[in-house]
Amino acid sequence: MVSRCQVEVLYFAESAEITGIRSETISVPQEIKALQLWNEIETRHPGLADIRNQVIFAVRQEYAELGHQLLLLQSGDEIAIIPPISGG
Amino acid sequence: MSSLDISSSCFNQETKLPLSPPLVEDSAFEPPGKDINEVEEKSKDIIKFTSEQLSVDEVSQLVISPFCGAISLFVGTTRNNFEGKKVISLEYEAYLPMAENEVRKICSDIRKKWPVKHIAVFHRLGLVPVSEASIIIAVSSAHRTASLEAVSYAIDTLKAKVPIWKKEMYEESSSWKRNKECFWATSD
Repeated sequence: MVSRCQVEVLYFAESAEITGIRSETISVPQEIKALQLWNEIETRHPGLADIRNQVIFAVRQEYAELGHQLLLLQSGDEIAIIPPISGG
Repeated sequence: MSSLDISSSCFNQETKLPLSPPLVEDSAFEPPGKDINEVEEKSKDIIKFTSEQLSVDEVSQLVISPFCGAISLFVGTTRNNFEGKKVISLEYEAYLPMAENEVRKICSDIRKKWPVKHIAVFHRLGLVPVSEASIIIAVSSAHRTASLEAVSYAIDTLKAKVPIWKKEMYEESSSWKRNKECFWATSD
């Protein structure tokens, strides 16, 4: 049984409009594949399914694709949902 | 120069983002082998996200150096139309601490590739009227090739990697934009 931790999820741009919030704290396993983490978040906010093929995570401010790589998380870690960017 | 204020009005403040210092200036590069007769000027990376109007004069002044014969500038401005639709206004938001870190990485990459002196990257946030500058990049170098190439690299890489979003508001709808350079969402 993997122990759990409290992480801060940040929503930006379209993901913030879909969820209606800018951030929330959620409980997740300390070891979790990026894709599983996305699925947990999508379960909380089903509307996010519309953009799942277009987003990437930033875990502790570093990009992480929604793939099978294992994320090692600690309480307080920041996970941002990053829709396609349009700066410049 | 007056430092400023990432105005809280342009972000939704329920976000518990640690807002980074508005203006960050540091010496990114210490030239090796200082000659005692040579008053070497420290190189600077100046990065700013602001809800205030950007000034080309202000940003280009920041990179002036007596060691440099060139200042290259890129100014990105907001267009008034998209696919025939009239753009009423635009709004930018950013994941601030990460955006600043990503710009800092770009500055560091530039210094590995080209002999440039100072680099300034200013990006507007919040509501931006049509035709105003959304971004100004200025780079100084001894000779023009380095700063011209560095500015081009800076804007291309910023569009691909820095977490900033633009929403265009039309008369009857709105749309989050997507840079073609965005590395994880290049096509629909």
